[in-house]
Amino acid sequence: MPASFTSFYFLCFYALILLIYYLIPKKTQWVFLLFASAAFYLLTGEGILILYPAAASLIAYGTVRWMAGTEDVKKRRLALGMALLLLVGALVALKYVNFGINTINAVASLCGTQGKILNGFDFLVPLGISFYTFSILGYVIDVYNGIARPQGNFFKIALYGMYFPAILSGPILRYREDGEQFFEPHSFDYRQVTFGLQRMVWGFFKTLVISERMNLVVNTVYDNYAAWPGAYIWIATVCYAFQLYTNFSGSMDIVLGMSQTFGLRLPENFETPFFSKNISEYWRRWHISLGVWMKEYVFYPLLRTKAFMDLGKNLRKKWGKKRGKQLTTFLAMLILWFTVGIWHGGDWKFVIGSGLLHWFYIVSGELLAPFYKKCMERLSIDPKSKWLDVFRVLRTFFLVNIGFVFFRAASTTDAWHMLVSAVRVWNWGELLGGGIFALGLDVIESVIAVVSLVMLFIVSLLQQKGSVRERIEKKPVWVRFALWYALLFYIILLGHYGPDYSAAEFIYQGF
Amino acid sequence: MTREKVFETLNEVFRDVFDDESIAVEEETTADDIEDWDSLEHINLIAAVEQEFGIKFSMGQVVSMKNVGEMADIIMSQIED
Repeated sequence: MPASFTSFYFLCFYALILLIYYLIPKKTQWVFLLFASAAFYLLTGEGILILYPAAASLIAYGTVRWMAGTEDVKKRRLALGMALLLLVGALVALKYVNFGINTINAVASLCGTQGKILNGFDFLVPLGISFYTFSILGYVIDVYNGIARPQGNFFKIALYGMYFPAILSGPILRYREDGEQFFEPHSFDYRQVTFGLQRMVWGFFKTLVISERMNLVVNTVYDNYAAWPGAYIWIATVCYAFQLYTNFSGSMDIVLGMSQTFGLRLPENFETPFFSKNISEYWRRWHISLGVWMKEYVFYPLLRTKAFMDLGKNLRKKWGKKRGKQLTTFLAMLILWFTVGIWHGGDWKFVIGSGLLHWFYIVSGELLAPFYKKCMERLSIDPKSKWLDVFRVLRTFFLVNIGFVFFRAASTTDAWHMLVSAVRVWNWGELLGGGIFALGLDVIESVIAVVSLVMLFIVSLLQQKGSVRERIEKKPVWVRFALWYALLFYIILLGHYGPDYSAAEFIYQGF
Repeated sequence: MTREKVFETLNEVFRDVFDDESIAVEEETTADDIEDWDSLEHINLIAAVEQEFGIKFSMGQVVSMKNVGEMADIIMSQIED
Protein backbone atom coordinates (compact mmCIF):
# COMPACT_ATOMS: atom_id res chain seq x y z
CA MET A 1 0.00 0.00 0.00
CA PRO A 2 1.54 3.38 -0.94
CA ALA A 3 1.96 5.77 1.98
CA SER A 4 -0.55 8.19 0.51
CA PHE A 5 -4.01 9.17 1.70
CA THR A 6 -5.20 9.53 -1.87
CA SER A 7 -4.30 6.01 -2.95
CA PHE A 8 -7.19 3.70 -3.74
CA TYR A 9 -5.89 0.99 -1.38
CA PHE A 10 -5.57 3.46 1.46
CA LEU A 11 -9.18 4.59 1.01
CA CYS A 12 -10.33 0.94 1.15
CA PHE A 13 -8.18 0.43 4.26
CA TYR A 14 -9.68 3.53 5.89
CA ALA A 15 -13.28 2.57 5.02
CA LEU A 16 -12.76 -0.84 6.60
CA ILE A 17 -11.21 0.66 9.75
CA LEU A 18 -14.06 3.16 10.08
CA LEU A 19 -16.69 0.44 9.75
CA ILE A 20 -15.10 -1.85 12.32
CA TYR A 21 -14.37 1.09 14.67
CA TYR A 22 -18.08 1.69 15.23
CA LEU A 23 -19.08 -1.99 15.33
CA ILE A 24 -16.78 -3.13 18.15
CA PRO A 25 -17.33 -2.40 21.87
CA LYS A 26 -16.44 1.24 22.58
CA LYS A 27 -13.93 0.32 25.26
CA THR A 28 -11.79 -1.47 22.68
CA GLN A 29 -11.85 1.30 20.06
CA TRP A 30 -8.46 2.69 21.03
CA VAL A 31 -6.88 -0.76 20.98
CA PHE A 32 -8.27 -1.23 17.50
CA LEU A 33 -6.87 2.15 16.38
CA LEU A 34 -3.46 1.10 17.70
CA PHE A 35 -3.75 -2.16 15.78
CA ALA A 36 -4.77 -0.24 12.63
CA SER A 37 -1.90 2.21 13.09
CA ALA A 38 0.63 -0.60 13.41
CA ALA A 39 -0.87 -2.32 10.34
CA PHE A 40 -0.68 0.94 8.38
CA TYR A 41 2.98 1.40 9.31
CA LEU A 42 3.84 -2.18 8.44
CA LEU A 43 2.00 -2.04 5.11
CA THR A 44 3.29 1.28 3.84
CA GLY A 45 7.02 1.14 4.27
CA GLU A 46 9.86 -1.02 5.44
CA GLY A 47 8.00 -3.01 8.11
CA ILE A 48 10.96 -3.39 10.40
CA LEU A 49 11.18 0.39 10.81
CA ILE A 50 8.12 0.26 13.05
CA LEU A 51 10.63 -0.51 15.76
CA TYR A 52 11.66 3.15 15.77
CA PRO A 53 8.30 4.71 16.73
CA ALA A 54 7.70 1.74 19.04
CA ALA A 55 11.04 2.37 20.74
CA ALA A 56 10.29 6.11 20.99
CA SER A 57 6.98 5.29 22.73
CA LEU A 58 8.78 2.89 25.05
CA ILE A 59 11.36 5.55 25.96
CA ALA A 60 8.55 8.01 26.73
CA TYR A 61 6.69 5.40 28.78
CA GLY A 62 9.81 4.39 30.74
CA THR A 63 11.14 7.86 31.50
CA VAL A 64 7.68 9.18 32.43
CA ARG A 65 7.14 6.26 34.83
CA TRP A 66 10.46 7.04 36.40
CA MET A 67 9.54 10.72 36.74
CA ALA A 68 6.10 9.96 38.13
CA GLY A 69 7.54 7.65 40.76
CA THR A 70 9.83 10.21 42.37
CA GLU A 71 9.70 13.67 43.90
CA ASP A 72 13.47 13.98 43.72
CA VAL A 73 14.20 16.86 41.33
CA LYS A 74 17.58 15.43 40.34
CA LYS A 75 16.09 12.08 39.35
CA ARG A 76 13.30 13.76 37.41
CA ARG A 77 15.83 15.87 35.58
CA LEU A 78 17.91 12.78 34.82
CA ALA A 79 14.85 11.00 33.40
CA LEU A 80 14.06 14.00 31.20
CA GLY A 81 17.69 14.18 30.10
CA MET A 82 17.65 10.54 29.10
CA ALA A 83 14.47 10.94 27.10
CA LEU A 84 15.87 14.00 25.32
CA LEU A 85 19.15 12.27 24.60
CA LEU A 86 17.57 9.13 23.18
CA LEU A 87 14.71 10.74 21.23
CA VAL A 88 16.62 13.71 19.85
CA GLY A 89 19.68 11.48 19.43
CA ALA A 90 17.81 9.09 17.14
CA LEU A 91 16.38 11.99 15.12
CA VAL A 92 19.76 13.68 14.74
CA ALA A 93 21.57 10.43 13.92
CA LEU A 94 19.05 9.40 11.27
CA LYS A 95 18.36 12.74 9.69
CA TYR A 96 21.31 15.03 10.27
CA VAL A 97 24.55 13.08 10.39
CA ASN A 98 24.84 13.24 6.61
CA PHE A 99 24.08 16.96 6.70
CA GLY A 100 27.06 17.46 9.01
CA ILE A 101 29.27 15.27 6.83
CA ASN A 102 28.23 17.06 3.62
CA THR A 103 28.85 20.45 5.21
CA ILE A 104 32.33 19.37 6.38
CA ASN A 105 33.11 18.05 2.88
CA ALA A 106 31.88 21.25 1.26
CA VAL A 107 33.98 23.42 3.57
CA ALA A 108 37.00 21.17 2.95
CA SER A 109 36.61 21.40 -0.82
CA LEU A 110 36.37 25.21 -0.54
CA CYS A 111 39.68 25.07 1.31
CA GLY A 112 41.19 23.14 -1.58
CA THR A 113 40.90 19.51 -0.45
CA GLN A 114 40.41 17.00 -3.28
CA GLY A 115 37.59 14.49 -2.94
CA LYS A 116 35.54 13.83 0.23
CA ILE A 117 37.16 13.63 3.63
CA LEU A 118 34.19 11.85 5.18
CA ASN A 119 31.76 9.40 3.65
CA GLY A 120 28.03 9.70 4.29
CA PHE A 121 25.84 6.96 5.78
CA ASP A 122 23.02 5.20 4.04
CA PHE A 123 20.20 4.98 6.60
CA LEU A 124 16.63 3.92 6.15
CA VAL A 125 14.73 6.73 7.85
CA PRO A 126 11.42 5.69 9.47
CA LEU A 127 8.29 7.40 8.13
CA GLY A 128 7.15 10.42 10.07
CA ILE A 129 10.13 10.50 12.45
CA SER A 130 10.14 14.31 12.73
CA PHE A 131 6.43 14.30 13.58
CA TYR A 132 6.18 11.46 16.08
CA THR A 133 9.44 12.45 17.80
CA PHE A 134 8.11 15.95 18.46
CA SER A 135 4.68 14.75 19.64
CA ILE A 136 6.28 12.28 22.05
CA LEU A 137 9.00 14.66 23.21
CA GLY A 138 6.41 17.32 24.01
CA TYR A 139 4.53 14.82 26.17
CA VAL A 140 7.62 13.88 28.21
CA ILE A 141 8.57 17.54 28.74
CA ASP A 142 5.01 18.41 29.78
CA VAL A 143 5.00 15.63 32.36
CA TYR A 144 8.34 16.90 33.66
CA ASN A 145 6.87 20.41 33.89
CA GLY A 146 3.84 19.05 35.73
CA ILE A 147 1.24 20.07 33.15
CA ALA A 148 0.51 16.68 31.55
CA ARG A 149 -0.84 13.65 33.39
CA PRO A 150 1.59 10.71 33.24
CA GLN A 151 0.10 7.84 31.23
CA GLY A 152 0.68 4.49 32.90
CA ASN A 153 -0.24 2.33 29.91
CA PHE A 154 2.49 1.78 27.31
CA PHE A 155 0.02 0.88 24.56
CA LYS A 156 -1.85 4.15 25.02
CA ILE A 157 1.37 6.12 24.54
CA ALA A 158 2.12 3.97 21.50
CA LEU A 159 -1.25 4.94 19.99
CA TYR A 160 -0.64 8.62 20.74
CA GLY A 161 2.76 8.41 19.03
CA MET A 162 1.74 6.22 16.08
CA TYR A 163 -1.88 7.23 15.34
CA PHE A 164 -1.94 6.47 11.62
CA PRO A 165 -3.59 9.55 10.11
CA ALA A 166 -1.16 11.91 11.86
CA ILE A 167 2.11 9.99 11.74
CA LEU A 168 3.00 10.80 8.12
CA SER A 169 2.67 14.55 8.02
CA GLY A 170 1.30 15.74 11.37
CA PRO A 171 -0.17 17.76 12.90
CA ILE A 172 2.30 17.55 15.78
CA LEU A 173 0.11 16.60 18.74
CA ARG A 174 0.12 17.84 22.31
CA TYR A 175 -0.69 15.12 24.79
CA ARG A 176 -2.01 17.49 27.44
CA GLU A 177 -4.65 18.72 25.01
CA ASP A 178 -5.12 15.99 22.40
CA GLY A 179 -3.97 12.82 24.17
CA GLU A 180 -6.74 11.58 26.45
CA GLN A 181 -9.53 11.71 23.82
CA PHE A 182 -7.95 8.76 21.99
CA PHE A 183 -8.84 6.42 24.86
CA GLU A 184 -12.39 7.62 25.48
CA PRO A 185 -15.37 5.73 24.01
CA HIS A 186 -16.77 7.30 20.83
CA SER A 187 -20.37 6.69 19.75
CA PHE A 188 -21.33 6.98 16.09
CA ASP A 189 -22.38 10.58 15.49
CA TYR A 190 -23.86 11.09 12.04
CA ARG A 191 -23.09 14.81 11.97
CA GLN A 192 -19.46 14.39 13.02
CA VAL A 193 -18.89 11.58 10.51
CA THR A 194 -20.43 13.50 7.60
CA PHE A 195 -18.56 16.68 8.58
CA GLY A 196 -15.35 14.67 8.66
CA LEU A 197 -16.02 13.10 5.27
CA GLN A 198 -16.87 16.49 3.78
CA ARG A 199 -13.59 17.89 5.06
CA MET A 200 -11.75 14.96 3.49
CA VAL A 201 -13.44 15.68 0.15
CA TRP A 202 -12.23 19.28 0.37
CA GLY A 203 -8.73 17.95 1.08
CA PHE A 204 -8.90 15.73 -2.01
CA PHE A 205 -9.98 18.74 -4.05
CA LYS A 206 -6.94 20.70 -2.87
CA THR A 207 -4.45 17.90 -3.45
CA LEU A 208 -5.77 16.10 -6.53
CA VAL A 209 -7.21 18.99 -8.51
CA ILE A 210 -4.93 21.91 -7.61
CA SER A 211 -1.68 20.60 -6.15
CA GLU A 212 -1.17 17.93 -8.80
CA ARG A 213 -1.66 20.47 -11.60
CA MET A 214 0.72 22.96 -10.03
CA ASN A 215 3.21 20.12 -9.64
CA LEU A 216 3.48 19.76 -13.45
CA VAL A 217 4.43 23.40 -13.98
CA VAL A 218 6.81 23.44 -11.03
CA ASN A 219 8.65 20.30 -12.16
CA THR A 220 9.04 21.56 -15.73
CA VAL A 221 10.75 24.74 -14.64
CA TYR A 222 12.60 23.62 -11.50
CA ASP A 223 14.03 20.47 -13.05
CA ASN A 224 15.50 22.43 -15.96
CA TYR A 225 15.64 26.07 -14.90
CA ALA A 226 18.35 26.98 -17.42
CA ALA A 227 15.81 26.42 -20.20
CA TRP A 228 13.07 28.40 -18.43
CA PRO A 229 14.55 31.71 -17.28
CA GLY A 230 13.08 34.98 -15.97
CA ALA A 231 9.30 35.17 -15.88
CA TYR A 232 8.97 31.37 -16.02
CA ILE A 233 10.76 31.15 -12.68
CA TRP A 234 8.34 33.64 -11.10
CA ILE A 235 5.33 31.75 -12.44
CA ALA A 236 6.71 28.36 -11.36
CA THR A 237 7.51 29.69 -7.90
CA VAL A 238 4.01 31.09 -7.38
CA CYS A 239 2.68 27.74 -8.61
CA TYR A 240 4.94 26.04 -6.06
CA ALA A 241 3.55 28.22 -3.28
CA PHE A 242 0.05 27.02 -4.19
CA GLN A 243 1.24 23.45 -4.71
CA LEU A 244 2.86 23.29 -1.28
CA TYR A 245 -0.07 24.99 0.42
CA THR A 246 -2.78 22.88 -1.21
CA ASN A 247 -0.73 19.72 -0.77
CA PHE A 248 0.10 20.25 2.90
CA SER A 249 -3.13 21.92 4.02
CA GLY A 250 -5.10 19.46 1.85
CA SER A 251 -3.46 16.53 3.58
CA MET A 252 -4.30 18.20 6.90
CA ASP A 253 -7.95 18.46 5.82
CA ILE A 254 -7.84 14.72 5.13
CA VAL A 255 -6.11 13.94 8.46
CA LEU A 256 -8.38 16.17 10.53
CA GLY A 257 -11.49 15.08 8.64
CA MET A 258 -10.59 11.42 9.03
CA SER A 259 -9.98 11.96 12.74
CA GLN A 260 -13.34 13.70 13.04
CA THR A 261 -15.00 10.59 11.64
CA PHE A 262 -13.37 8.68 14.53
CA GLY A 263 -14.70 11.30 16.96
CA LEU A 264 -11.23 12.80 17.49
CA ARG A 265 -10.38 16.48 17.35
CA LEU A 266 -6.83 17.25 16.23
CA PRO A 267 -5.22 20.71 16.30
CA GLU A 268 -5.53 22.87 13.18
CA ASN A 269 -2.32 23.36 11.21
CA PHE A 270 -3.35 26.13 8.80
CA GLU A 271 -5.37 29.29 8.95
CA THR A 272 -5.32 30.74 5.40
CA PRO A 273 -1.63 31.72 5.73
CA PHE A 274 -1.40 33.57 2.42
CA PHE A 275 -3.72 36.24 3.84
CA SER A 276 -1.06 37.19 6.42
CA LYS A 277 0.02 40.82 6.57
CA ASN A 278 3.54 40.16 7.84
CA ILE A 279 6.00 37.29 8.27
CA SER A 280 5.37 36.79 12.00
CA GLU A 281 1.66 36.48 11.33
CA TYR A 282 2.38 34.10 8.46
CA TRP A 283 4.15 31.73 10.85
CA ARG A 284 1.21 31.86 13.25
CA ARG A 285 -1.00 30.66 10.37
CA TRP A 286 1.27 28.24 8.47
CA HIS A 287 2.17 24.87 10.03
CA ILE A 288 0.74 26.11 13.32
CA SER A 289 1.50 22.96 15.33
CA LEU A 290 5.21 23.24 14.49
CA GLY A 291 5.23 26.92 15.46
CA VAL A 292 3.52 26.22 18.79
CA TRP A 293 5.91 23.33 19.49
CA MET A 294 8.97 25.43 18.72
CA LYS A 295 7.68 28.27 20.89
CA GLU A 296 6.97 26.09 23.90
CA TYR A 297 9.89 23.68 23.77
CA VAL A 298 12.71 25.67 22.13
CA PHE A 299 12.11 29.41 22.25
CA TYR A 300 10.71 29.88 25.78
CA PRO A 301 13.11 27.48 27.51
CA LEU A 302 16.01 29.12 25.66
CA LEU A 303 15.02 32.62 26.77
CA ARG A 304 14.57 31.35 30.34
CA THR A 305 18.08 29.88 30.60
CA LYS A 306 20.41 31.67 32.98
CA ALA A 307 22.81 32.46 30.14
CA PHE A 308 20.10 34.26 28.17
CA MET A 309 18.69 36.05 31.22
CA ASP A 310 22.17 37.33 32.10
CA LEU A 311 22.84 38.30 28.51
CA GLY A 312 19.54 40.21 28.49
CA LYS A 313 20.52 42.10 31.65
CA ASN A 314 23.93 43.02 30.25
CA LEU A 315 22.57 44.11 26.89
CA ARG A 316 19.90 46.23 28.58
CA LYS A 317 22.57 47.92 30.68
CA LYS A 318 24.67 48.63 27.62
CA TRP A 319 22.06 49.48 25.00
CA GLY A 320 19.13 50.66 27.04
CA LYS A 321 15.91 48.85 27.92
CA LYS A 322 14.27 48.64 24.52
CA ARG A 323 17.28 47.93 22.34
CA GLY A 324 18.73 45.46 24.86
CA LYS A 325 15.48 43.51 24.98
CA GLN A 326 15.35 43.48 21.18
CA LEU A 327 18.91 42.19 20.78
CA THR A 328 18.33 39.29 23.20
CA THR A 329 15.18 38.27 21.36
CA PHE A 330 16.88 38.50 17.97
CA LEU A 331 19.61 36.17 19.15
CA ALA A 332 17.14 33.64 20.57
CA MET A 333 15.14 33.93 17.35
CA LEU A 334 18.25 33.15 15.31
CA ILE A 335 18.57 29.81 17.14
CA LEU A 336 14.82 29.23 16.82
CA TRP A 337 14.76 29.85 13.06
CA PHE A 338 17.82 27.71 12.50
CA THR A 339 15.96 24.90 14.30
CA VAL A 340 12.77 25.47 12.29
CA GLY A 341 14.79 25.38 9.06
CA ILE A 342 16.77 22.28 9.88
CA TRP A 343 13.66 20.47 11.11
CA HIS A 344 12.58 20.39 7.45
CA GLY A 345 15.67 18.48 6.47
CA GLY A 346 19.43 18.30 6.71
CA ASP A 347 20.24 20.68 3.88
CA TRP A 348 21.22 24.35 3.79
CA LYS A 349 18.41 25.06 1.32
CA PHE A 350 15.92 24.27 4.12
CA VAL A 351 17.94 26.09 6.77
CA ILE A 352 17.88 29.20 4.57
CA GLY A 353 14.50 28.86 2.81
CA SER A 354 12.31 28.14 5.82
CA GLY A 355 14.64 29.31 8.55
CA LEU A 356 17.27 32.01 8.41
CA LEU A 357 15.66 33.98 5.59
CA HIS A 358 12.50 34.35 7.69
CA TRP A 359 14.59 35.38 10.67
CA PHE A 360 16.14 38.07 8.48
CA TYR A 361 12.69 39.26 7.37
CA ILE A 362 11.40 39.54 10.93
CA VAL A 363 14.51 41.22 12.34
CA SER A 364 14.85 43.71 9.49
CA GLY A 365 11.11 44.40 9.68
CA GLU A 366 11.42 45.26 13.39
CA LEU A 367 14.53 47.38 12.93
CA LEU A 368 13.05 49.30 10.01
CA ALA A 369 9.62 49.77 11.61
CA PRO A 370 10.34 53.36 12.80
CA PHE A 371 11.64 54.24 9.31
CA TYR A 372 8.51 52.85 7.62
CA LYS A 373 6.37 54.78 10.09
CA LYS A 374 8.13 58.04 9.21
CA CYS A 375 7.82 57.33 5.49
CA MET A 376 4.09 56.76 5.81
CA GLU A 377 3.68 59.97 7.82
CA ARG A 378 5.62 61.92 5.18
CA LEU A 379 3.54 60.45 2.36
CA SER A 380 0.40 60.89 4.51
CA ILE A 381 -0.63 57.24 4.12
CA ASP A 382 -3.24 56.05 6.58
CA PRO A 383 -1.70 52.99 8.36
CA LYS A 384 -5.19 51.52 8.73
CA SER A 385 -6.08 51.82 5.05
CA LYS A 386 -7.53 48.72 3.38
CA TRP A 387 -5.28 49.23 0.35
CA LEU A 388 -2.25 49.22 2.57
CA ASP A 389 -3.41 45.88 3.99
CA VAL A 390 -3.71 44.48 0.46
CA PHE A 391 -0.18 45.71 -0.23
CA ARG A 392 1.03 44.07 3.01
CA VAL A 393 -0.56 40.74 2.07
CA LEU A 394 1.03 40.80 -1.39
CA ARG A 395 4.41 41.83 0.03
CA THR A 396 4.33 38.99 2.58
CA PHE A 397 3.38 36.51 -0.15
CA PHE A 398 6.28 37.75 -2.27
CA LEU A 399 8.78 37.39 0.58
CA VAL A 400 7.54 33.90 1.40
CA ASN A 401 7.96 32.95 -2.27
CA ILE A 402 11.66 33.87 -2.19
CA GLY A 403 11.98 31.31 0.62
CA PHE A 404 10.10 28.75 -1.48
CA VAL A 405 12.71 29.07 -4.25
CA PHE A 406 15.30 27.72 -1.81
CA PHE A 407 12.86 25.18 -0.41
CA ARG A 408 12.04 23.67 -3.81
CA ALA A 409 15.30 24.08 -5.76
CA ALA A 410 17.61 21.07 -5.87
CA SER A 411 20.30 22.93 -3.92
CA THR A 412 21.17 26.32 -2.45
CA THR A 413 23.36 27.07 -5.47
CA ASP A 414 20.51 26.27 -7.88
CA ALA A 415 18.18 28.50 -5.87
CA TRP A 416 20.65 31.36 -6.14
CA HIS A 417 21.03 30.90 -9.92
CA MET A 418 17.26 30.84 -10.28
CA LEU A 419 16.81 34.06 -8.31
CA VAL A 420 19.48 35.78 -10.39
CA SER A 421 17.80 34.60 -13.59
CA ALA A 422 14.38 35.69 -12.30
CA VAL A 423 15.66 39.23 -11.78
CA ARG A 424 17.92 39.54 -14.82
CA VAL A 425 15.87 38.03 -17.63
CA TRP A 426 12.84 40.00 -18.79
CA ASN A 427 10.72 37.69 -20.95
CA TRP A 428 7.17 38.35 -19.81
CA GLY A 429 6.16 39.03 -23.42
CA GLU A 430 7.21 35.54 -24.45
CA LEU A 431 5.50 33.97 -21.43
CA LEU A 432 2.21 35.82 -21.93
CA GLY A 433 2.42 35.30 -25.70
CA GLY A 434 1.79 31.59 -25.19
CA GLY A 435 4.94 30.32 -23.49
CA ILE A 436 2.97 29.77 -20.32
CA PHE A 437 1.05 26.91 -21.95
CA ALA A 438 4.25 24.99 -22.66
CA LEU A 439 4.95 24.32 -18.99
CA GLY A 440 2.79 21.21 -18.67
CA LEU A 441 -0.72 22.68 -18.60
CA ASP A 442 -2.37 23.46 -21.95
CA VAL A 443 -5.09 26.10 -22.32
CA ILE A 444 -7.95 23.93 -20.98
CA GLU A 445 -5.85 22.55 -18.12
CA SER A 446 -4.76 26.07 -17.22
CA VAL A 447 -8.38 27.23 -17.17
CA ILE A 448 -9.28 24.35 -14.83
CA ALA A 449 -6.34 25.27 -12.59
CA VAL A 450 -7.33 28.94 -12.44
CA VAL A 451 -11.03 28.18 -11.83
CA SER A 452 -10.05 25.79 -9.03
CA LEU A 453 -7.74 28.36 -7.47
CA VAL A 454 -10.56 30.91 -7.62
CA MET A 455 -12.83 28.39 -5.85
CA LEU A 456 -10.16 27.93 -3.18
CA PHE A 457 -9.82 31.70 -2.84
CA ILE A 458 -13.58 32.22 -2.41
CA VAL A 459 -13.88 29.44 0.17
CA SER A 460 -10.83 30.83 2.00
CA LEU A 461 -12.48 34.26 2.11
CA LEU A 462 -15.69 32.72 3.43
CA GLN A 463 -13.68 30.83 6.08
CA GLN A 464 -12.62 34.18 7.56
CA LYS A 465 -16.21 34.48 8.80
CA GLY A 466 -16.51 31.00 10.30
CA SER A 467 -17.08 27.40 9.26
CA VAL A 468 -18.19 26.98 5.65
CA ARG A 469 -19.43 23.43 6.34
CA GLU A 470 -21.77 24.74 9.04
CA ARG A 471 -23.17 27.34 6.68
CA ILE A 472 -23.77 24.73 3.98
CA GLU A 473 -25.46 22.56 6.61
CA LYS A 474 -28.14 25.22 7.09
CA LYS A 475 -29.07 25.24 3.41
CA PRO A 476 -32.01 23.19 2.10
CA VAL A 477 -31.27 19.53 1.54
CA TRP A 478 -31.16 19.72 -2.28
CA VAL A 479 -28.65 22.59 -2.19
CA ARG A 480 -26.42 20.63 0.20
CA PHE A 481 -26.47 17.50 -1.88
CA ALA A 482 -25.99 19.42 -5.12
CA LEU A 483 -22.96 21.24 -3.67
CA TRP A 484 -21.18 18.20 -2.22
CA TYR A 485 -21.91 15.95 -5.18
CA ALA A 486 -20.80 18.64 -7.62
CA LEU A 487 -17.51 18.92 -5.72
CA LEU A 488 -17.11 15.17 -5.62
CA PHE A 489 -17.71 14.81 -9.37
CA TYR A 490 -15.45 17.77 -10.03
CA ILE A 491 -12.65 15.90 -8.21
CA ILE A 492 -13.39 12.57 -9.88
CA LEU A 493 -13.49 14.14 -13.34
CA LEU A 494 -10.72 16.68 -13.00
CA GLY A 495 -8.45 15.24 -10.33
CA HIS A 496 -4.98 14.31 -11.50
CA TYR A 497 -4.10 10.81 -10.52
CA GLY A 498 -0.69 9.23 -10.77
CA PRO A 499 0.06 5.89 -12.49
CA ASP A 500 -1.56 3.73 -9.82
CA TYR A 501 -4.44 6.09 -9.08
CA SER A 502 -2.49 7.82 -6.37
CA ALA A 503 -1.28 11.36 -6.08
CA ALA A 504 2.36 12.32 -5.87
CA GLU A 505 3.71 11.90 -2.37
CA PHE A 506 2.62 14.39 0.20
CA ILE A 507 5.50 16.81 0.27
CA TYR A 508 5.64 17.06 4.04
CA GLN A 509 5.91 13.31 4.35
CA GLY A 510 9.58 13.72 3.48
CA PHE A 511 10.15 15.36 6.84
CA MET B 1 -0.37 40.83 50.09
CA THR B 2 -4.05 41.11 49.15
CA ARG B 3 -5.33 40.16 45.71
CA GLU B 4 -6.20 43.80 45.04
CA LYS B 5 -2.64 44.79 45.80
CA VAL B 6 -1.32 42.02 43.51
CA PHE B 7 -3.49 43.32 40.68
CA GLU B 8 -2.41 46.89 41.36
CA THR B 9 1.25 45.90 41.07
CA LEU B 10 0.56 43.72 38.02
CA ASN B 11 -1.07 46.68 36.36
CA GLU B 12 2.06 48.74 36.81
CA VAL B 13 4.24 45.95 35.42
CA PHE B 14 1.97 45.50 32.38
CA ARG B 15 1.95 49.25 31.67
CA ASP B 16 5.72 49.33 31.93
CA VAL B 17 6.36 46.24 29.73
CA PHE B 18 3.89 47.17 27.00
CA ASP B 19 4.60 50.87 27.27
CA ASP B 20 0.91 51.69 27.43
CA GLU B 21 -0.57 53.72 30.29
CA SER B 22 -4.15 52.88 29.30
CA ILE B 23 -3.82 49.18 30.25
CA ALA B 24 -6.06 48.01 33.11
CA VAL B 25 -5.77 44.27 33.74
CA GLU B 26 -8.59 42.19 35.14
CA GLU B 27 -9.07 38.55 36.17
CA GLU B 28 -10.16 37.57 32.67
CA THR B 29 -7.60 39.58 30.70
CA THR B 30 -5.75 37.43 28.14
CA ALA B 31 -3.12 37.97 25.45
CA ASP B 32 -5.96 38.66 22.99
CA ASP B 33 -6.95 41.78 24.92
CA ILE B 34 -3.55 43.49 24.76
CA GLU B 35 -2.28 44.27 21.31
CA ASP B 36 1.45 43.80 21.90
CA TRP B 37 1.14 40.69 24.09
CA ASP B 38 2.57 38.15 21.64
CA SER B 39 4.79 35.15 22.27
CA LEU B 40 7.91 37.33 22.34
CA GLU B 41 6.56 39.81 24.86
CA HIS B 42 5.12 37.00 26.96
CA ILE B 43 8.58 35.97 28.13
CA ASN B 44 9.58 39.57 28.81
CA LEU B 45 6.39 40.05 30.78
CA ILE B 46 7.03 36.89 32.80
CA ALA B 47 10.56 38.05 33.64
CA ALA B 48 9.29 41.48 34.70
CA VAL B 49 6.57 40.00 36.93
CA GLU B 50 9.09 37.62 38.52
CA GLN B 51 11.44 40.45 39.27
CA GLU B 52 8.72 42.67 40.72
CA PHE B 53 7.31 40.03 43.08
CA GLY B 54 10.59 38.18 43.73
CA ILE B 55 9.10 34.88 42.59
CA LYS B 56 9.83 32.27 39.91
CA PHE B 57 7.31 30.74 37.51
CA SER B 58 7.92 27.17 36.42
CA MET B 59 8.13 26.40 32.68
CA GLY B 60 4.80 24.58 32.96
CA GLN B 61 3.15 27.68 34.42
CA VAL B 62 4.71 29.90 31.75
CA VAL B 63 3.12 27.95 28.91
CA SER B 64 -0.16 26.97 30.53
CA MET B 65 -1.46 30.07 32.35
CA LYS B 66 -4.66 31.13 30.64
CA ASN B 67 -5.28 34.66 31.91
CA VAL B 68 -4.12 37.31 34.36
CA GLY B 69 -6.30 35.77 37.07
CA GLU B 70 -4.30 32.54 36.89
CA MET B 71 -1.10 34.55 36.97
CA ALA B 72 -2.30 36.25 40.15
CA ASP B 73 -3.21 32.85 41.69
CA ILE B 74 0.34 31.61 41.14
CA ILE B 75 1.83 34.82 42.51
CA MET B 76 -0.41 34.67 45.64
CA SER B 77 0.48 31.02 46.29
CA GLN B 78 4.21 31.70 45.99
CA ILE B 79 4.13 34.80 48.19
CA GLU B 80 2.26 32.88 50.90
CA ASP B 81 4.99 30.21 50.90
